[in-house]
Amino acid sequence: MDDLIKLVRTYRLTVGLAERLQLVEEIFPLIEPAMRFFVFSAVRPPAAEDVLQEILKAIVTGMSKFRGSTNGELWGWCYSIARHKLNDQFRRQANDRLQPMSPEELSQLVEATVDNASLSAGDKHDLEYAMKLLKNSKPDCYEYLRKHFLFGLSYGDIAEEQELSYGSVKMKIGRCLDEVQSLVS
Amino acid sequence: MPKQNPNAETALRKLGQQLRQDFAKKHPIPEKSLETVKDAVREEWEKEQKAEREKKPAPGDAKSPRREPPEPDQER
Repeated sequence: MDDLIKLVRTYRLTVGLAERLQLVEEIFPLIEPAMRFFVFSAVRPPAAEDVLQEILKAIVTGMSKFRGSTNGELWGWCYSIARHKLNDQFRRQANDRLQPMSPEELSQLVEATVDNASLSAGDKHDLEYAMKLLKNSKPDCYEYLRKHFLFGLSYGDIAEEQELSYGSVKMKIGRCLDEVQSLVS
Repeated sequence: MPKQNPNAETALRKLGQQLRQDFAKKHPIPEKSLETVKDAVREEWEKEQKAEREKKPAPGDAKSPRREPPEPDQER
């Protein structure tokens, strides 16, 4: 992933079309899976495919204007584009096409991951414990833990989304972790 | 002997990583998706080139002081 920001910075300085397309081929597989997971947890297919495509186009064509210098800044920028596009979609479309992935569906996905036969006994134990933590979290904590740990959003990304300060998000997640850990143990 | 529970943060982080990895495996990137993005890059590049051309004046358009033909009286 460290290569990602290097590739984007190179893209920014590249003028030739062939070179840009070559860089896009390298950058695209690094960004697409995270964006796909994020979008598919918020919007159901087939609308999800359309929104995802819009997001990916906006990210790639906007890369020449991106001014950040770290992977964190880059991901924050990508998620911010994704959030805006999702909000546009929510406004445009009828709600029946836009039910997000329910906690039960997410839980099924998590269970399938934990049941993965190729995992070691130790890893399985850790994942089962993590699943127990999520299941026992209060609804507001569940949302924060899901966003931060399952989707990989940073404190900063969540802060921007929730219009909170970085510090309050960090504190909230810390408290949620302490709370659920004591509940489960 | 029961296994000791790991740190909550570490366990959740591990779960997130595994989940994203599994999701990516189940949903390979469609070739069409990359092609659509590349088309958008081509379009963007053409726009940039057009804007660049419009910014720079063409060599033939360089304004040089035009020499007016001399007045007949001045030639004498």
